[in-house]
Amino acid sequence: MASQQEIHFDKIISRYRADPYHYQDVHSLHTGKVRFIAEENSSVEGVSGEWQHKLGTALYAIERERNTKVITATINGTVASVCQNLDGQFVEAGEKLLTIRHPLKKKEIIEAILQEVLFLFRAPERARYYFSLDIQSRIDQKGARSVFIKPGDEIITMSLMKRDTPVYYSGEAGLLHSIYFKPGDSVSQGVPLIGICPEEKFPVVQKVITRVKAEWE
Amino acid sequence: MNRLQQLMTEAEAKGEVLAAGTTVLADTLSQSQGRFTRHWYAPLGGIWLTTAWPDILLPEFSRLLPFAVGLACCRAVRTYGLDARLKWVNDVLVQGKKIAGVLCNSVIRCGDQYHLLGIGLNANNQDFPQELNGIATSIVNKLGQQVGLAELTGRLLAELSWAIGLLHYDEEQALQERLFCEEGYSSLLLKNWRQLSDTPGQQIEYGFDIQEKPLYQATAIDIDPCGGLIMEFEDGTRVVEYSGEIIYY
Repeated sequence: MASQQEIHFDKIISRYRADPYHYQDVHSLHTGKVRFIAEENSSVEGVSGEWQHKLGTALYAIERERNTKVITATINGTVASVCQNLDGQFVEAGEKLLTIRHPLKKKEIIEAILQEVLFLFRAPERARYYFSLDIQSRIDQKGARSVFIKPGDEIITMSLMKRDTPVYYSGEAGLLHSIYFKPGDSVSQGVPLIGICPEEKFPVVQKVITRVKAEWE
Repeated sequence: MNRLQQLMTEAEAKGEVLAAGTTVLADTLSQSQGRFTRHWYAPLGGIWLTTAWPDILLPEFSRLLPFAVGLACCRAVRTYGLDARLKWVNDVLVQGKKIAGVLCNSVIRCGDQYHLLGIGLNANNQDFPQELNGIATSIVNKLGQQVGLAELTGRLLAELSWAIGLLHYDEEQALQERLFCEEGYSSLLLKNWRQLSDTPGQQIEYGFDIQEKPLYQATAIDIDPCGGLIMEFEDGTRVVEYSGEIIYY
């Protein structure tokens, strides 16, 4: 079992060596008429500023019911492709419009590899999140990676418009390996909140992290 | 809120569900807690109630329930001739002092989610603990005379029923028009909220937990069609927040 996992990791690592980029597809936010602003091969910047208040490079504008919105980049990189045939056209919600190629740093590669092997529990809505009192106290006492989580556990509280909702874990049982938010952080829908590692995979995951740290230039 | 959860448990034991709008009223609360670890001061003379509302709205509309509750409180207070105003998201102020507050939580029972809509309204209670002096007020303090608590409760519940009804109407309209807030759907609930709010134009301090950890200062500009607070920094850049709280300064 352990050797199979190692072979699997070798493949993942080789893939990142061959192409150390993350490709982010940008889809239409909703239905409407699209006009592209960013051009193919142009550089784009993501959001910045202490409060993430400085918008990224404008990518496209979408208009519906005389309401025009300019959509901006969330990560930096290069515009790898633009679906030019859609320029000036009415598109459905979720249609792929362009792709940004983002160069990965060592830390991001480790994280990307981890995200392929951990069970990721994602934010149900765009909201602010914090751990439930029980989980937070277990993290404070023993450290995150000693905290065992199983389906049905109340793990996180989601705070949206001053309404607090408990969030129950659903997924593979295991140890709380990675935490992707700080308590009180604003997190977009679908972004991972935590990564869970089944106990038996834990040593292999640690080994991969060590290896990538050592080998990656 | 504990009593409502007890009622849910009792209903479950009978194989039933708690009726939408079930409301628990208290004369006073002795061990109540607000958001985070804050004390919720609830003496005799105030209105302290929680209403259970099942999660039957689409997420983009259920997230506006806290606005509906604040709007209902504000309108109820205004029926006594007081110039009550809303501070984002749902604090009700009269001449800058808090007269009503809202606490919304969600619970899941037997796979069903309920929103617990808690309201505290200072009515005939006149005295406040030292930490609330200067920042809290009550109807009796402003009117100079007591009000009938039963009548006030009736007015409040009628407004709550109207505001939640408006939210359900908004959802129906949005579904018919196939146009949601992110596409510019203009909610009637938020339109009414905006008319009674004094937040736009205020210099504010923002934080997730504003008392423990204020994050930044900005100017409140408006609320967006999804209820987010649009704020502007001194350099002209803007940020929109969908959670957290503010104080005016």
